[in-house]
Amino acid sequence: MAVLTDVAVDRPTAKETRTPRAFRATPFTYATLMIVSAVLSVPLVLVVSIALSSDQTVNANAFSIIPREFHWENFTRVFDTSLPMGRFLLNSVIISLFAVAGQMLSSGLIGYAFARLRAPGKNALFMVVIATMMIPTQITMIPQFILFKELGWINTFLPLIIPNFFSNGFNVFLVRQFVSRLPKEIDEAAMIDGLGFFGVYRRIMLPMLMPALIAIGIFTLTYTWGDFMGPLIYLNDESKMPLALGIQYISSTSAAMQAPPWNLVMVGSILLTLPMIIVYYLGQRYLYEMDISGGSAGVK
Amino acid sequence: MTIDRARVTRRGFLGLGAAAGIITLTACGSDSDGDSGSSSGGGKLVMTVWGGEPDKTAYQKRIDLLVKKYPDISITLQLIPSETYEQKVQTMIAGGSGPDIMQVAENVNVYSSKNQLSPLDDLAKGAGIDLEQRFGPIGSLYSYKDKVYAVPDRSGAMITYYNKTMFSAANLEAPTAEWTWEQTLAAFKALTIPGKQWGYAGAEWWAAWWGFVYQNGGKIIDDSGKPVANSDQVVEALQWAGDLVNKHGVVPTKKQYADFGADVNGDAAFAQGKIAVSTTGFWAISGLLKSNIDWGIAPFWRGKQQAVTAFGSGLAISRTSKNPNAAIKAIEFLSAPDAQKVIIETGQDVPANIEVQKSDAFLKPTWMTKPVDMDVFGESSAFVYRAPFIPEWNEMQKAFENGLANFWLGKEDARTALNAVQKRLETIVKPAG
Amino acid sequence: MTNLAEAAPARAGAAPGSAPTRLAGLRSRRRKEALWFYLFASPWIVGFLVFLFGPMVASIYLSLTDWDSFTTPNFVGLDNYRQLLTEDPVFWTALKNTIYYSAISVPLGLLIGLWLANLLNKQVRARKLFRTLIYLPTLVPLVAAAMVFKMVLMPSGPLNDLLGLAGIPGPTWLLDPTWVKPSLILLSIWGVGSATVLLLAAMKGIPKELYEAAEVDGASPMRQFWSITVPQLTPIIFFNLVMGIIGAFQVFSQVYVLTRGATQAPEEASVMMVPFLFDQAFAFYHMGYASAISWLLFLVILGFTLIAFRTARKWVFYETEVK
Repeated sequence: MAVLTDVAVDRPTAKETRTPRAFRATPFTYATLMIVSAVLSVPLVLVVSIALSSDQTVNANAFSIIPREFHWENFTRVFDTSLPMGRFLLNSVIISLFAVAGQMLSSGLIGYAFARLRAPGKNALFMVVIATMMIPTQITMIPQFILFKELGWINTFLPLIIPNFFSNGFNVFLVRQFVSRLPKEIDEAAMIDGLGFFGVYRRIMLPMLMPALIAIGIFTLTYTWGDFMGPLIYLNDESKMPLALGIQYISSTSAAMQAPPWNLVMVGSILLTLPMIIVYYLGQRYLYEMDISGGSAGVK
Repeated sequence: MTIDRARVTRRGFLGLGAAAGIITLTACGSDSDGDSGSSSGGGKLVMTVWGGEPDKTAYQKRIDLLVKKYPDISITLQLIPSETYEQKVQTMIAGGSGPDIMQVAENVNVYSSKNQLSPLDDLAKGAGIDLEQRFGPIGSLYSYKDKVYAVPDRSGAMITYYNKTMFSAANLEAPTAEWTWEQTLAAFKALTIPGKQWGYAGAEWWAAWWGFVYQNGGKIIDDSGKPVANSDQVVEALQWAGDLVNKHGVVPTKKQYADFGADVNGDAAFAQGKIAVSTTGFWAISGLLKSNIDWGIAPFWRGKQQAVTAFGSGLAISRTSKNPNAAIKAIEFLSAPDAQKVIIETGQDVPANIEVQKSDAFLKPTWMTKPVDMDVFGESSAFVYRAPFIPEWNEMQKAFENGLANFWLGKEDARTALNAVQKRLETIVKPAG
Repeated sequence: MTNLAEAAPARAGAAPGSAPTRLAGLRSRRRKEALWFYLFASPWIVGFLVFLFGPMVASIYLSLTDWDSFTTPNFVGLDNYRQLLTEDPVFWTALKNTIYYSAISVPLGLLIGLWLANLLNKQVRARKLFRTLIYLPTLVPLVAAAMVFKMVLMPSGPLNDLLGLAGIPGPTWLLDPTWVKPSLILLSIWGVGSATVLLLAAMKGIPKELYEAAEVDGASPMRQFWSITVPQLTPIIFFNLVMGIIGAFQVFSQVYVLTRGATQAPEEASVMMVPFLFDQAFAFYHMGYASAISWLLFLVILGFTLIAFRTARKWVFYETEVK
């Protein structure tokens, strides 16, 4: 079916009759998408406009929506500091890759168990899974810091990486919901064929769950990449800090009423966001264009 | 079911154990992670400061000078973004690994009142720091119950920035430290062109209107530590500030501000050329050097008696530091002229050391591209009033911010608003016995 | 557990034999299945016990103390809770504001997300670009997003210019006590991309045959959307709903960066639970009090989540019963 879809897009006229009307894009569809994208993009255009502004404009906060001046040198200025930006980038990559791997490895199996396997106490345990997300992280921060300190993990990447290998409420719940949409006959058939629970997960569920796991990967990446609070609390050495914290240094000032150099702040934000945009742009085919149309098509 | 219950109790047990452990730890959170070192004055220190990249450069340069002079001391500088500084330091201390030297400001007595800082009187004397001589009236700025808890490091008074073009267009002389409120208001009126140009900006900022309060003989917290926010002097001063906005229209309203741009405060509005007079700290200079407007600086006007807010920070030694002697030795060096000069050379701030404020390094900094009368800062430091750095500083600021919101909108008079704030403050502020 | 689910493994075993042995076999299979469940779920259980449970219990204990996060905590019993519920007007204001914010932003975000996902699910040219543009706002760091949002929401900013074109006089948004919450909701809607990602990924998993069959029956696209797409998506809609509730009640950074400072609307108009709690914990050093707030907030969120779970039985369509 994936093949059919692709063909249909390439040559819409030839395949029009075979595409259900619900999937056909009308001029109205395009108009709406364009308006929505444009509206959502206004703030982003502003980000770019500010990034290209001169220091005078920043000092007077006299920005315009559409860029009027183009100070591209701002993009090199953020690297012209005593902060090790390259090192920050590397740290971000290391932390994010491990975090993503941890979540993608653990969440699938746990979510599958909650969706399919029956056990006493499961529902109660599931409520605990959900309930763990209802306590603001701000309040457990200090006890957690003490815990990690006792483990000797302060000033290492471990507090930022290791918990990911145990999944979290959000991802367990997400996978559970995705699994529960799949027809149960699939696993039953596989069990009859002699697969155990792990076999069913590994051979049947995992391939069908890929979009959900990719989504988890993207969310984890986005979160870890942009998070500066965790690194701020757990890391002390500058050489260990991630890029998101580096961007905080650009926007931080020594006096409370002092305005940050907004042009550099926006340049930093763009540089921080750009890799994520590329990852999402390239990664979306695994998210949306894999053939996982449940049941019949997926298993064979 | 039975399995379930067994699990719960086991889990409960584990959890209680963990919790008890955590509380015990915090209760005696004294096992600092600081590296071992002798108490002879050498050793490894951790120093926390806030700010951005330029601050890092300035602090690191000073530390480099220090290490050159005292090779047995090494300092790890931890630069923490400003907005998150208090949270990070709080977590470090609560987790039992506070820094040796920490930068403090208005919040100093949060820590001193909770016994987290070492009193410095004896230590400073031992290290040969004469606070009075080195820093003048602000030498004991960071004290609590008659003990000093931080050595001033950076300190600049609030000063007046004025737009020379607008002043000459209105046929006015430059502002002086001698202006009374009447003269000030008359000048603002002459400088205002409704809807286009305003005489002044930033009256809502505590640093500005508290200055008026002290000029008027008022106080926010009296000498016994009780809030006196609704005394006649305070009411009169606040009303004067509020009238600038809502009665005379010489200060932009909130809505007018918001239309200047996002996050535009007095500094930015002044740089935009919309404001004739702005009162703020040293930091505005570097931005203004790049702007197209013609500006000058002067001391804050006086009202009845001279009083002006100062901005700055000090260096404190945490109670858990294993090397208080090394730490005070480091602070002694950092607050002495050689290291203090770096603060102005890098354009970071006004050094607290008076000798440096009078030196050429400060009066004619190498980066200054136009003639600016830097002596204004030294002149102003004599007028700095002692702001009440109570342990509940943040809560007090919040009470003012919330309690005066309607006042600044012109919906309430100063007395009504301050009576409500005073009530709130009485529940917040516990007088230091 | 439905009859079907119970019967299924028995059928799968399908070993002919007398009733008692079949029952015993069923029981042992059940036990095995339970063991496998706990084995598979063990990473989460271990992670919970090691990293979360201790800190959570600690915060319950702290909520019964006057801890300032530096000195030894004193036990004060339920004093913090009593003070919050009976003496602190900010608590109730914050709760009211938070409920207002959640009650609008969650359903609105869901509807818009669903609508966008449906549009993106069509065979649109440049759909990669559209998907990226819609997801992009969720990637922008908050410092940047907040700054530009303040600009967009200026009294004479672009949003009001746009409204002006339509002949609507725009409010002063962040300055106006009645409009500051809608402003925050706008910011949350701007980040609707992440909900859209999941809904779209799930939509791609709906068998096309269903639509083809409906097409043959002459159902309109609108009808297909409501009778095929939405029911098939209900588990994911439900997920977004629950996570939306949990997230909205804990809204923090947006409120913090958009509504602070003297030039904003009076605080009571925009104060929410977590910013309130954060101030108590990290600006005022009332860690015990803040812990009490967090557990009251926990109860509120739990209440709303349980309601969602209760009603889920009526409208969430699972391929198999998971209860």
